[in-house]
Amino acid sequence: MQGREFEMKNASRWAEYELLLNELEAGGRRSKSAAAAKLPKLFRELCSDLAIARYRMYDLALCERLNGLVIRGHKLLYLRPAGAWIKVLQFFVIDFPTIVRSEWRLLIIATLAFLLPGIAILVPALLGNDLSWVQAVLGVEGMRSMDSMYGSADDQIANLREQHGSNFMMFCFYIFNNVGIDFRLYAGGLLAGLGSLFFIVYNGLFFGAAVAYIHLACDKTAFYSFVAGHSAPELVAMVIAGMGGLRLGLGFLNPGRKTRIRSLVESAKASLPLIYGAAAMTFFAAIIEGFWSAQPVEPEIKYAVGVFMWSVTLMYFLVMGRRFHAAR
Amino acid sequence: MTDSPPRIDTLQSIELAEGVEIRLRIAGPYVRSFAYAIDLMIQLGIFIGLAMITSVVGIALGQNVGQGVLLLGMFILHWFYQILFEAGKKGASPGKRAMGLRVVDQSGIPISFGQSFLRNMLRGVDALPGFYGIGLFSCFASKKFQRLGDMAANTLVIYERPFTQRVSALPPALEAIAPTMPLEREEQAAILDFKNRAGQWSEARQLELSDHASELTKSEGREGLAKLLAIAKWLNDRK
Repeated sequence: MQGREFEMKNASRWAEYELLLNELEAGGRRSKSAAAAKLPKLFRELCSDLAIARYRMYDLALCERLNGLVIRGHKLLYLRPAGAWIKVLQFFVIDFPTIVRSEWRLLIIATLAFLLPGIAILVPALLGNDLSWVQAVLGVEGMRSMDSMYGSADDQIANLREQHGSNFMMFCFYIFNNVGIDFRLYAGGLLAGLGSLFFIVYNGLFFGAAVAYIHLACDKTAFYSFVAGHSAPELVAMVIAGMGGLRLGLGFLNPGRKTRIRSLVESAKASLPLIYGAAAMTFFAAIIEGFWSAQPVEPEIKYAVGVFMWSVTLMYFLVMGRRFHAAR
Repeated sequence: MTDSPPRIDTLQSIELAEGVEIRLRIAGPYVRSFAYAIDLMIQLGIFIGLAMITSVVGIALGQNVGQGVLLLGMFILHWFYQILFEAGKKGASPGKRAMGLRVVDQSGIPISFGQSFLRNMLRGVDALPGFYGIGLFSCFASKKFQRLGDMAANTLVIYERPFTQRVSALPPALEAIAPTMPLEREEQAAILDFKNRAGQWSEARQLELSDHASELTKSEGREGLAKLLAIAKWLNDRK
């Protein structure tokens, strides 16, 4: 059969298929279902037409046209179903804590990478009453901002919040800044995990230096009562974002018996829940930090809230989703 | 996926579950950089618009509220502009759409939110150490023009509309000659393509190309061209 004949014989079917594509691509949710039901059959027929045309080496223009039609149908037929709220719920109740637990090795590494540098700078500074290392880490700018936030009861951070709308502004700033830090920390994992590791260690150093500086030079109560409420979700989220980055980098570093790319793809997929969860936790922490942490409330109440938040966070990761996971 | 003879075009053959191959045309860094530049302009435009709106809102609701909304807008614009557009129905950011590009999974289907999140979250690494150095290197090192983010997310950037070859056939040869040696399918297809497209080239170009087949036609120049067209006619008549 000549290409022309083949084309003429099937032209009406192809035209019908193309009309259907145009209709479905144009959208309009209502009229779709009847038209959509016809798609799979027509699509399969087009696929076989394309295979035949290629095999018989009909001319290029015909093959290209069929190729294009098949691609359009394929795109429509394999649309991803829209995500449901139930999936979000399942993520937070079951998947996220389960995955954090199953990656306990990375959790330990990321936690230590954060805590050890912090302790290494904090303890000698407090014992020796020596700020030289602390000053080196914080720099002039860092110390000035510590002074302005926690310097003494008069110029502590809460006093800046009396202006109208400043809580909201700070909430937005914390999202912009802290979630952004999580994302960078995670993305750095692509560099064989080194980027994530660097950011965690750096944050640990800075954190330790800040605590040491506040102990020796600022108002401790101002600091601890401010950070008590949001510290649990924020710090844990940062560690988990680092875990995500390490998971990504490990897939690249240690492919096992897979190809390196295949391994990277799989570990990237496995790391997604970690960064989703970390971003959500940091968002939650930003709400607390913006609207609660600077409220003029007795420090004792704030400490109580802080203890509560830490125990809720730890319980969440220890217990949540265990039963569901076992049942599967 | 067929790996045999290395091709010099940017078509990516993908076999569907339906048992047929489609050929996607992969987009290279050149056209993608234009798409990226357009996206940057759009983001800048949105940012300027947002800054103006929030300054007006700031007057009404207080400076801090306006500033907060602006920060939130910047956060979304920076991290989620590309993610949301590429995970959407069109599978492309406005810049990519303008350049006729689309992001797909390696298997040709639209990408998921997770894939869009990954490839754009890792954009920052590809942008290192400046001017997308790593991304560019990785594009050229990979067969499918993938930057690192594309590799991790298992995605490709392709042209939305498949390439349409312009066809302009020469008048068919008067006589049909059987080829002197057995030809592979690809070779037969190449000869037929040559006949179908030769009309749009200058004569010198036609001769230059037909000379490549001199082993088959056993002659060069005009004679070789005539013989090649005769073989094309033989192939065409027979099918």
